[in-house]
Amino acid sequence: MAYDRSYNGAAGKPRGVFANSGASSGPARNAEEAARACAATFGAHKAAGANAASRSGGAATQESASRALSVSAAMQLAKGALEGVTVRLVGEISELSNKPGYKAVYFTVKDKSASLPCMMWNNRFRAAGVQVAVGQLVELTGRFTLYAAKGRMNFDVFSLAPVGEGQLRLQVANLARKLSAEGLADPARKLPLPAYPLTIGLVTSPRGDAVHDVLRTLRRRFPVARVLFSGVAVEGPQAPAGIVEGMRAVVHAGAEVVLVVRGGGSYEDLMPFNDEFLARMIVKCPVPVVTGIGHEPDTSIADMVADVRASTPTAAAEAVSPARENLDALFGARRGSLDTCIRRAIERSAAQVGHIASRPVFCDPNALLAASAQGVDQYADRLARALPASLDCDRAQVDRLRERLGSALPNALTLDAAAVQRQRERLTRALSQVVDAPTTQTQRARERLMRVMPQACERAQASLDNEQRRLLASGRQLLEPFRRQAGLSAAQLDALSPLAVLGRGYSIARDGDGGVVKSIEQAQAGQKLDVTVSDGVIECSVSGVRRADEDGFTGKES
Amino acid sequence: MGNEALKPVEDLTFREAMAELDGIVGVLESNTLELEDSLASYERGVALLRALQGRLATAQQKVDVLMGQLEPEVSDEQRDTTLS
Repeated sequence: MAYDRSYNGAAGKPRGVFANSGASSGPARNAEEAARACAATFGAHKAAGANAASRSGGAATQESASRALSVSAAMQLAKGALEGVTVRLVGEISELSNKPGYKAVYFTVKDKSASLPCMMWNNRFRAAGVQVAVGQLVELTGRFTLYAAKGRMNFDVFSLAPVGEGQLRLQVANLARKLSAEGLADPARKLPLPAYPLTIGLVTSPRGDAVHDVLRTLRRRFPVARVLFSGVAVEGPQAPAGIVEGMRAVVHAGAEVVLVVRGGGSYEDLMPFNDEFLARMIVKCPVPVVTGIGHEPDTSIADMVADVRASTPTAAAEAVSPARENLDALFGARRGSLDTCIRRAIERSAAQVGHIASRPVFCDPNALLAASAQGVDQYADRLARALPASLDCDRAQVDRLRERLGSALPNALTLDAAAVQRQRERLTRALSQVVDAPTTQTQRARERLMRVMPQACERAQASLDNEQRRLLASGRQLLEPFRRQAGLSAAQLDALSPLAVLGRGYSIARDGDGGVVKSIEQAQAGQKLDVTVSDGVIECSVSGVRRADEDGFTGKES
Repeated sequence: MGNEALKPVEDLTFREAMAELDGIVGVLESNTLELEDSLASYERGVALLRALQGRLATAQQKVDVLMGQLEPEVSDEQRDTTLS
């Protein structure tokens, strides 16, 4: 074990020196005094060099008679001497023991030719916020101390930082200056937070405390809000791009505000939040970005350009959500305002109604109708007086008219009768004249007619007789050709007649029914036949029949 | 106040309801409404207030995970064994 070796190595050489030094102090001296003395000696040691060594050698011989120190006192002396100096050193971690339940973290740092056991109290280690690993180059500040129980020298580490962090801090500071010069940290540029964000974007690691700190805080204060969560890596070189992607996702999904948070860590761990690309994307984000990165003292570039910078994830969640008690108070105030307003409105309306009700018109029902009622009365009165007077006047007028009518009517009738008489006489005279005049005219016409008529009759009779004679003559002439033609036709007809054949000696035999007998088939013996000849009919009886081819054409017997 | 244009209270988002409530209080405080409108506004305001308080009291947090896998919160026991 390295610890054991270092213990042994340290134990051998200085023992004599401390023993001698302690002896000079005497038995009554306590350990602290011894330590002080030793510290003085040790402190002078470096400067004095060999000179001091020879002096202590002298002291040893001088105080050889004094009592020997206890081990505890000696260790105490050495401890006191060691702890006076604070040292800053750089080394590589070679062993590491960081177990739960320990009060401190134990590790060893080494370089090519030496190694140094170190211990760091837990509280200091946590405050440093550094994750250490074997092989890491670290810069330590602390002091040498002794663990007396084991006689072991340790380096008591006050602070620890990865080597190169100074360079990183410089880079970040330069970037911060550059972005500030561009106005990206300008408060005027920053977006105000929505008062009641109903959709809150959360971009952080899906593991660890930060995400749950935020969710718990939002749940407690403003559970109405929906949380859109993007779980991304928050460490390593890919982290800035992942965080930007996560922001994009939650904004795209409708987040009204974005929380970018991360739990505490070493300076190096928080480096993704010092990324220029991330910073510029935060600036460009269309909705407000609230950062809660690390613990209180850490400030990153992301914090600088964020619209609101909260110191922790929990603080970031609080920044975007209204506190429950504030909301409750607000609701109480609203309720009070509503009640007050409506009460006032009702009171005001009631006052108005009361004011109107107190007007005279509503107090005395007669007031409204008084004038009209009086007017009606007046008119009724006037009407009552006017009507009888008017009737009397009209009656007198009617009487006067009747009298005038009575006197005027007989006069008018006698006048009219005389006029009618005169008209009748004139009419009678005119009528007789009109009737007499045509009578004489008719008489004259009749006389003229009597004279003319006989002569005309005679002329007409003569003409008629003449026409009759002419007609009879032409009738006789018309008949003569037809008569001649008829005689001709009769002669021709006569020639063609069967009767004419009979005239030449032929005859026609007929049976009892009048049918002409043309064949012997139609005649039987004993049958009666009528035989027509030119001048009459011979009644015959058939005695027999013979066929023509049997006996020549001799005809039948009759 | 166009009463006919009002959405049902349950259709409003929390913020819309808050904004409308603020508006109603403002109008009522201005004393410019007829009594009937005042009463209607008051009723609406109380309904909004009740809805808001009820929503806040009964809301369950909703978390939509868009990226990554959200791990459950570490219990105190686990914490003791994994951290120093």
